[in-house]
Amino acid sequence: MEAIASIKPETAHAVDAAPALAPAPTYINGSHALMKALLAEGVDTIFGYPGGAIMPVYDALYDYQDQINHILVRHEQGAGHAAQGYARVTGRAGICLVTSGPGATNLVTAIADALIDSTPLVCIVGQVGKKLLGTDAFQEADVMGVTMPITKWNYQITDADEVPEILSKAFYIAQSGRPGPVLIDMTKSAQLELMTKPYVYQRCQSLVSYRPRRIPKQEQVETAASLINSAKRPYIFAGHGVQIAKAEAELIEFAEKTGIPVATTLLGQSTISTNHPLYVGWLGMHGNYGPNVMTDQADVIIAIGMRFDDRVTGDASKYIKQAKVIHIEIDPSEIDKIIRADAPVVGDAKEVLKALLPLVKPNDHTVWRNEFRKYDAIENETITVPELTSLDGKIRMAEVIDMLSKKTKGEAILVTDVGQHQMMASRYYQFRKPNSLVTSGGMGTMGFALPAAFGAQVGAPDRQVVAIIGDGCFQMTLQELGTIVQNKQPVKAIILNNNFLGMVRQWQQLFHERRYSFVELQNPDFITIARGFGMDGQTCDQRDNLSDALDTLLAHEGPFLLEVIVEKEENVFPMVPAGASVSQIRLK
Amino acid sequence: MTTYTICIFTENTIGLLNRITIIFTRRRINIESLTVSETERKGVSRFTIVIKHESREEVEKLVRQIRKIVEVMAVFGYLNDEIVYNEIALFKISTPLGSKSLDVETINKEYKAWVVYWGLDYVVIEKTGNDTEIFEFFGYLKKYEILEFVRSGRVAVGKTEKGLVEYLPESEWAYYL
Repeated sequence: MEAIASIKPETAHAVDAAPALAPAPTYINGSHALMKALLAEGVDTIFGYPGGAIMPVYDALYDYQDQINHILVRHEQGAGHAAQGYARVTGRAGICLVTSGPGATNLVTAIADALIDSTPLVCIVGQVGKKLLGTDAFQEADVMGVTMPITKWNYQITDADEVPEILSKAFYIAQSGRPGPVLIDMTKSAQLELMTKPYVYQRCQSLVSYRPRRIPKQEQVETAASLINSAKRPYIFAGHGVQIAKAEAELIEFAEKTGIPVATTLLGQSTISTNHPLYVGWLGMHGNYGPNVMTDQADVIIAIGMRFDDRVTGDASKYIKQAKVIHIEIDPSEIDKIIRADAPVVGDAKEVLKALLPLVKPNDHTVWRNEFRKYDAIENETITVPELTSLDGKIRMAEVIDMLSKKTKGEAILVTDVGQHQMMASRYYQFRKPNSLVTSGGMGTMGFALPAAFGAQVGAPDRQVVAIIGDGCFQMTLQELGTIVQNKQPVKAIILNNNFLGMVRQWQQLFHERRYSFVELQNPDFITIARGFGMDGQTCDQRDNLSDALDTLLAHEGPFLLEVIVEKEENVFPMVPAGASVSQIRLK
Repeated sequence: MTTYTICIFTENTIGLLNRITIIFTRRRINIESLTVSETERKGVSRFTIVIKHESREEVEKLVRQIRKIVEVMAVFGYLNDEIVYNEIALFKISTPLGSKSLDVETINKEYKAWVVYWGLDYVVIEKTGNDTEIFEFFGYLKKYEILEFVRSGRVAVGKTEKGLVEYLPESEWAYYL
């Protein structure tokens, strides 16, 4: 009673002080604040799946349908991969909106995939009400705990007032520095309750504790430049970071001025056109012969926006021991992580290359560059030509990709799944335009391609998107055919069907004495399935029909599924056996 | 094995302890001790984590991974001779009637330890010092019945002219002091 009495005079004073007819302030709820924040960040597309704990947000979304295109996927994993495909081709964060518990946990694979491949995602996940947190409530999962190690940042919103600030932080963190996924776990109570203050949105520009270095330190650039200028056999490794920084033009200018050969990582492919005279191929386990072997000959390696993944280095203890390493990387934790850098340069690839360009001397390493070509000849003779010209037996994966490459003039966006077909696509597609390969590199997620191709098509409506998918991979996310059809996206999907989990089978053949342990698939009729979803398709199992089948696929107006029955026991070579040094690369 | 003391300055937010310790777990590095408290700057916490490791290179990698966490402002790794450090240990010693009487003078003067609580038939002795000093004292007290023994994590300051917070990114800090 006493407390109430003591409050009374103040309350009375406040009422007296207010203008007599002032309208009561109307503050928006957390869900509407979220919509406004998304619009402020320029979001036009959301990949999502509604459910109980995210329903207030979906209710708000109903009012914003004309400004935000929501795409209803068939499984939350599909939302994640579609958002990845969208982010990879646009360079902007992909947005996922899912419910609590299973909705969120279904998203986990895509989040982990996005982290390791540096893909910006903003995942907004519903959560049970604040009062129910930690009570094992219906569809409650500790999503913060689950995603902590696989997000760049995550945060739980329990109060509607937090929405503008947290969303602006989320977008800033996801899209700046080394991009990555962030997750916002939003309680249902925060979605429903009204903000207690007017909604104000300020885009985040910097944070006290997070300050990615874009502009390199001049002394680091100078050290790198002097190493480059004195090198006899310099060699550029271009990674995904070059494309993230949109530094393709600077890379080419730098390579052309210095005459240095360029190899790419798997995710770095398409950074430079494959017919550029300085492009020598790609590195790694199933990369080209020359680029791998020549790592042992180089005296200076200029690694740009790549992280020396074990699929690139093979046995890291034997990797490029003879060379000085210049490591250009925006994430300082990558420096010296796998390979010790003699000259680290921390910064955005574009900024570093711009700073390096005036300091490097023009050069022409003709003799050195020609050495790569000798190995190309060996690879051509041993692998490429036989794979493309064997006219007996079943169709080979290489033929399909090679023909697709020619028919699309190397200008399509290729989205691949994971396995033999992924390596074949990388080997045989002749990329002509930057940012044209979307694949799951670091995580190696089967089931990635179909939803990612859909997302890529949404992000790049003017480009032709072709998904290359294995028969095993397809069956992991094939329900997204429904999403593609419903949204009328002209995605072209090619299943290279060998009725095997091909890459596992290859390893079993080579390293486990042909003990084919559970790798043979009894596949459904993929075309009937596609038709069931309302998508056209056809099967091709004769070499003579392949060209026509690809023409039909590419010319088809809407989405199309082409199943190509390929050689059952084909292997991908060259190959660096796991744990071996790259110089031990096998041609057969 | 070398002992490293890792000082981490962070924003004071929920769940950060988890985010930091996951990095040790992933790298299979055992945490010997861990203390956290807010610093003289409001909203800035300081973690002091002690680990033992054979390879300085691996510790440097660990430090870089911790630095990568968005809320982490700065991380410093130290060897023992670069810091002044201490722990607090509490010993609960049984002192029923007729038991061996405590030599409080030796405890005070020789071991710089203090009786901080007198129970009916036990006492609690506090000893501050590094782990060697604490275990020396433990050895001395063994002749009594030790009912409980607990020691805190390490706290440490660097032997540098400036305070570590001076190395944090510039900002409008609210100071406690």
